[in-house]
Amino acid sequence: MEGALKLWAVIVAVGALNYLSRLSFIAFFARRSMPPLLARALKYVPAAMLTALIVPMIVEAKGGAIDLASSKVMAAVIAGTVAFVWRNTLATLGAGMAALWLLQWLRP
Amino acid sequence: MRHIVRSRDFREGFVEMLPACIGLAPFGVVCGVGAAAAGADWLGALGLSAIVFSGAAQIVATQMLAAGAPFAVIVLTAAVLGLRLLMYSAAMAPLVKPLPVRWQRGLAFVLSDQAFAASLRRFSRDDDRLAAARHFMGCGAALWGGWQIACMAGFLAGNLIPPAWSLEFAVPLCFLALVAPLFRDMPSVLAAICAGIAVLALAHLPMKLNLVAAGMIGIAMGTCADLARERWKAR
Repeated sequence: MEGALKLWAVIVAVGALNYLSRLSFIAFFARRSMPPLLARALKYVPAAMLTALIVPMIVEAKGGAIDLASSKVMAAVIAGTVAFVWRNTLATLGAGMAALWLLQWLRP
Repeated sequence: MRHIVRSRDFREGFVEMLPACIGLAPFGVVCGVGAAAAGADWLGALGLSAIVFSGAAQIVATQMLAAGAPFAVIVLTAAVLGLRLLMYSAAMAPLVKPLPVRWQRGLAFVLSDQAFAASLRRFSRDDDRLAAARHFMGCGAALWGGWQIACMAGFLAGNLIPPAWSLEFAVPLCFLALVAPLFRDMPSVLAAICAGIAVLALAHLPMKLNLVAAGMIGIAMGTCADLARERWKAR
């Protein structure tokens, strides 16, 4: 599949899946309650999935090698601390980007 | 449709959500930047935010498209990420049960944690379920509209700002802002550590399958830790 066509196929498929997930217990399983084990597992979807997405973006250097001492890793630790304490997206973005720019300027 | 939009409940919900819109704007801007980085045109970027209406799923889609992952793997990864919506759906279900099916379908489209939290109070307070539903629609409309504006602003900015600014780093930062506050809970920490290690250990898997595999491992570990903690407390 090429460019724009693939993008629209993804939009339609992911959009439909998200809508069906939102509708699931409201419309399809309205008469039953959620199985307890499923309810327990769903609580950990954000922590697990988001971390799986974040880690490669932070530790992978150009060419796919893993670099744990890069400016990106240090900036992410600072931003993560800010996010943990203040729970604020804008503060996290500001701290992380400022730290990255400063570190890249200090260690070219 | 018109009488809904003109109602006081809708307007109240709309106004109540405006501060949340401002809070979400940075994340929306980053989603727009991501769409620009993946080479989407403005119509594709708008379609993505308008139809998918979920920041994390939008970023996954654009990042994986840019990395050249196959269609099926992108959809699978977004589907696992979207499982959390089942949680909101189950929480919302008893509240909207008495409403007509038409309303249920409409409300489901704009279901998000912010709108849900704001309307929960209304639904538990009001005997008039339709009034609460109009309020929820107002919340959803504000969030949806604000989200489109933020994403389009990001799309335009992403095409203007030079790569030397490392703006793509804002993507993991946004996810960090969502995930770091969860680390007050032990099983969540364990789920994240396992997912983080697994995603690197499985990096050799083809087609970016390591993302969804690591996510499943993390979810399983978090669930086991949660069960173990409960056993421990029960002793």
